[in-house]
Amino acid sequence: MATVQVSEAEKVYILHGIRDDLRVDGRGCEDYRHMEIETDVVSNTDGSSKVTLGHTVVLVGIKTEIGKPRPMVPDEGYLDFFVDCSANATPEFEGRGGEELGTELSNTLYRAFNNKHSLDLKSLCISPGEHCWVLYVDVLLLQCDGNLYDAISIAIKAALFNTKIPRVHISADDEGGREIELSDDPYDCVRLNVENVPCIVTLCKVGHRHVVDATLQEKACSVASLIMSVTHRGTVTCTRKVGGGSLDPESIFEMTEAGKRVGKALHAPLMKLLQQEESLGRKKQKVGFLS
Amino acid sequence: MPVDTKRVRGPEVSQSPSLFLCKPAKTLPPDGLRADGRQRDQVDVRPVFVRCGLVSQAKGSAYIEAGNTKLICCVYGPRETERKDETDMKCGRLTTDMRFTPFSCQERGSWIQGSHDKDLSLMLHESLQPALCLHKYPHAGIEMYDLVLSCSIRQDGTSYVVDPSYMEENSHSLVDSENQGGLTVAYLPSLNQISGLQSDGDMTEDTLTAGVRTCIEGCFKIYPVIQHALARAVRRAAPPPSES
Repeated sequence: MATVQVSEAEKVYILHGIRDDLRVDGRGCEDYRHMEIETDVVSNTDGSSKVTLGHTVVLVGIKTEIGKPRPMVPDEGYLDFFVDCSANATPEFEGRGGEELGTELSNTLYRAFNNKHSLDLKSLCISPGEHCWVLYVDVLLLQCDGNLYDAISIAIKAALFNTKIPRVHISADDEGGREIELSDDPYDCVRLNVENVPCIVTLCKVGHRHVVDATLQEKACSVASLIMSVTHRGTVTCTRKVGGGSLDPESIFEMTEAGKRVGKALHAPLMKLLQQEESLGRKKQKVGFLS
Repeated sequence: MPVDTKRVRGPEVSQSPSLFLCKPAKTLPPDGLRADGRQRDQVDVRPVFVRCGLVSQAKGSAYIEAGNTKLICCVYGPRETERKDETDMKCGRLTTDMRFTPFSCQERGSWIQGSHDKDLSLMLHESLQPALCLHKYPHAGIEMYDLVLSCSIRQDGTSYVVDPSYMEENSHSLVDSENQGGLTVAYLPSLNQISGLQSDGDMTEDTLTAGVRTCIEGCFKIYPVIQHALARAVRRAAPPPSES
C-alpha cells in the first residue's frame, strides 16, 4: 500500500496533536476532509461516479449485463467487484504491485454487501434460474492519499444511485420458450434503491485515540485500524481489523460506537447531494477530471 | 493444443448437482439443541484435538481437529528475502498462506488459490503479526508475546451459535430479520488484546459488541487445551531428567 516515510519528530507532533483533538490539517478527530462527488462521469457505463477525498481520487464505473443466476440463489442477481490499483496512483502499483491491495479491497467490498438488505438483489432477477442482471462494479484508484475504503464505498453508493438498468420484458412464444425483449426507449430504465447501501468508515488508532479519515501521515503513526461498513439505520454490515498491531477490546467497543455514529451521519447528506445533482438533469455542469 | 472434434464434449461450465438440491427449511426451535447436540446461545465450543510437531521437515507444525474440520499447519524459515530493500531488512517478515484441499468442501475446489483462500491468508497474517517478535529476528527461534487464539460465532436473529459447523455457517436463515451475520475474533489471552476481527452480515452495534465478548469467552475455553498440547510437545522433545 502506498505509504510515506514519517520521521520520529513528525510522529510525536502528530500523536500529541491528536491527543489534544487537533490534527495537522485543523480537523477534529471525527471530521472528514473536503469531499467532492460527481456522478455520470463516464458515458460508456450504466452508472459511474468520481469521488475526491483530500487528494484521494477514486473512479467507479458500473456496467450491467445479463447473466445466469448462481445456482444457490436462482432468484437473485449479483454484484461483481473489481478494484484496479492503477500505477497512476503510485509507482508501487506498477505491474502486478497493486494486485494484493486490489484483492484485499474487493474482498472487503464483497463482505460489506454480503447480506440481504444492502441491495435488493431479487429486483435484479429477470427470470428465475435463467437470466438475471449482473452488476460489474469496477473501481479505479487514480490517486492515493489515505482512507481508500471510505472513498471507494462512497463512490460505489453514488455510482449505484446513478446506475440505469434497461427495462426488459419477457414474452412467451408459441413453443413455450421465453424471449427477452429490450425496450426501444433508451430512457426507459429501472433505478436501484440505494437507501440501504452501506458506507465504510475507517477508524485509525493513533496513540490512545482514534481518528476518522486519516491521511497517509496519520496512518503511518497508527498500528492498527478498524474498518466498519455502516448503513443509514446504523447497522454494521462488515468490520475488519487491519494493520500489524492489536487492539484492546475496550478500544474496539469505543471505535465501533464512534464508527456507527460517523457512518450513520454520512448517509443523509450524501443522499441529499445525489438527489440534488440528479434534479439538475441536463443543466448539470460537468467538471470531470479538470477540477 | 489440438482438440479432438469428434468427441462429444461436455458443456463449458458445469455445476455439481448437490447445489440444486432443495435445502430443508431450518425449523429449529430457538431454544433447541444444535445438530451436534451442543447448546445454542452458550459458549459451547467443539472439543478440539491438537498435536504439535507432526511434520518432521518443518521447523514447527501442528494438527488440529474440531468436529469435521481438520487442519494441518507448518512453519518454515527463516530464509533469505527476495526483496532486498533496506526498509525490509530491519526485522523479520511473516508470510502466510492458507489453502483448502480441492476435496475439503462439498464442492470440489480448484488447486489454484482462490479469493476466499487469499482472504483467509490475509486475515491469518493480520491476526498473527501482533503476537510475533519480528524485531528479534536474528535470534534463534521465534519469540511470541502470547498465543493467538480465535473463535467465531454465527448470529441468527436474537440467538447465536458459537464455533459454528460448516452446515451452520452456510445455512441460509429463512427469517428475514435483523442481526444476521458472522463474527470472528483473534485474541491474545494473557495480554487482553484483539489481534484480528472480522464480521459480515447485518448486525446492530450492540449485537456486535456482545458478539466480541462471547468470542473472547470462547477463546478462553480452548486456551488450556492449546497450552496443554504445547507443554506436551516440549516435554516430548526435551524430556525432563529422570529423578532416579
